[in-house]
Amino acid sequence: MNPTKDWRTFKAVFLRNLKLYTSYKIWIVSTVIWPIPLLALNVYQYMAFGTEANVSEALRQYGGIGMIVVGTIVYLLYNRLLWGTGVSIQSERWMGTVEVLFLTPTNKMIILLASGLSSLIEASWWIVSIFLSGWAIFGVEPQVSSLPAVIASIISTMAALVSVGVFFAGFFVLTRAADQLASGLQAPIRFFSGVAFPVSALPQMLQYISYMIPVTYGILALRKCVLQACDLTGIWIDLAPLWLMTMVFLILGKVALRIVERRAKKTGTLYLY
Amino acid sequence: MPEHAIETDNLTKKFERKAKAEGGGFRQLYRRIRIKKEQIVAVDHISFQIRRGELFGLLGPNGAGKTTTIKLLCTLLIPDEGTAKVNGYDVVSEAEEVQKSLGVVTGGERGLYWRLTGRENLWFFSQLYDVPDRIAKGRIERLLKLVELEERADDQVEKYSRGMKQRLHVIRGLVNDPPILLLDEPTLGLDPASARVIRDFIKKELQGEQNKTILHTTHYMEEADQLCDRIAIIDNGKIIALDTPENLKKTVQRTDVIEMHVSNLRQEDSEKIGTLEGVKKSVVTFTESTVGEATIKIHAEKAEEVMPLATESLIKSGARILTLEQTKPTLEDVFISMTGRKLRD
Repeated sequence: MNPTKDWRTFKAVFLRNLKLYTSYKIWIVSTVIWPIPLLALNVYQYMAFGTEANVSEALRQYGGIGMIVVGTIVYLLYNRLLWGTGVSIQSERWMGTVEVLFLTPTNKMIILLASGLSSLIEASWWIVSIFLSGWAIFGVEPQVSSLPAVIASIISTMAALVSVGVFFAGFFVLTRAADQLASGLQAPIRFFSGVAFPVSALPQMLQYISYMIPVTYGILALRKCVLQACDLTGIWIDLAPLWLMTMVFLILGKVALRIVERRAKKTGTLYLY
Repeated sequence: MPEHAIETDNLTKKFERKAKAEGGGFRQLYRRIRIKKEQIVAVDHISFQIRRGELFGLLGPNGAGKTTTIKLLCTLLIPDEGTAKVNGYDVVSEAEEVQKSLGVVTGGERGLYWRLTGRENLWFFSQLYDVPDRIAKGRIERLLKLVELEERADDQVEKYSRGMKQRLHVIRGLVNDPPILLLDEPTLGLDPASARVIRDFIKKELQGEQNKTILHTTHYMEEADQLCDRIAIIDNGKIIALDTPENLKKTVQRTDVIEMHVSNLRQEDSEKIGTLEGVKKSVVTFTESTVGEATIKIHAEKAEEVMPLATESLIKSGARILTLEQTKPTLEDVFISMTGRKLRD
């Protein structure tokens, strides 16, 4: 453990990712415009079955269209962080730099964490974009009574999602199909975590799966404090599982990374691309 | 400080790969499902030592085990048998110390971030090697100047020529100022002028001025001959000869070398050359098989006796002799005398 060295690594990876991301001007399109159709898709799934007033009435008990807005934000966060952290090793393979990176005397966990946190910069634009379009296009009005609760929810959700990304990154060292695995996880996570509907609407058996996914708790906590004016006392029951998952996934991720790095060096799969 | 910068003892690396499924129909399908694996020995019990400040060459054809050896030494692979030490550190149990002692330069287009500038690439890697910012910036300036890239340092790497990328590769391996450098085919695919710039930089600057210990792999025999203090010739994962270039060439000094360029040569006639009296080894390489153009290298006990026999045999078979000369033995002849193949076969 060398804090100065780890900080240098973190800073270098973080800045590199920002430069790589913004090196083509088209990044503005993917950051600001891309999330809006996704939100609209989720909302119009309901609109297709009745007038806006009718649908809004039916949704009101769950927080109205705001429920979908919050669900979409957390899902996009998950998506971005899984790609930013979990697929970062695969991205190095695509760029042809995975070997030179593994040649350096660095803590690979720091590289993954820096990759995850740099992808949050992009994700934070998505949050702003979705909030603004939810407010301007769909008339969603947040009911916030406790700003600390909102901040705690966002940070806890992000921490849990980064740790999930670190966990997956370990396994992705072994395979060239990381992007396919990450893509394969998108639809199940979107379904089980209740992005566009309340998890309570699922059959009981499926709800057990939902409550093993951090995205579910992030959505629950944020819906409560953004749409139902809950404070910290009202959301701690959702935050506690997030903290627990953060610790568990980080520890598992660290162990997995060490094991699979050794295995990849033993079998010669590290440099496959 | 240990006497040897690099030492290996019976270093071995094996890989598993899927065996080819033969046959057709259900049998092939069944074999594909079973996924039978076969083992390949990429590096086979190799032992060598490299002295500090030495420029040591690993010469061999493609697939001989050069890159695997480099990957074992730089901790990208874990050996199956044997040991290796770099700067006195074990490559398995002291991997981080090994990484700090090394600069690794690979050939080709990979290993750089194309959307970053040359300067940004160097800064990024300097930070990963824990070089303080102030030192890193000064060092990067000096390195860019050494390879004459300072004027293009702030251009994105994707705009660089192949030769410029390779120069950047070389100085990327120097951002941590390591005592030992592993250069894996650093001139691969470069035009002659760019390759000469890299070779001069390695010999004059890295070895001459900076006194780095260098392990240099190549399949260009002229490069190994020109640069290296000692050379290990590697084939099929085994070191088959190790000495100075001069001593290696002395092993074939008693052999006369005849080189011929011919056209209209048929495969079956080319095989007759090796059976002529007085021929020790012969290698025929078809450069344009449709018109039978080929180069023939003959190792003979006495050139004056073999030359008439070879020309007669070729003319009888309808081949046209374009050039015929007796040459001095090169490192390639050392390789031919040991394996019966050319380095670039």
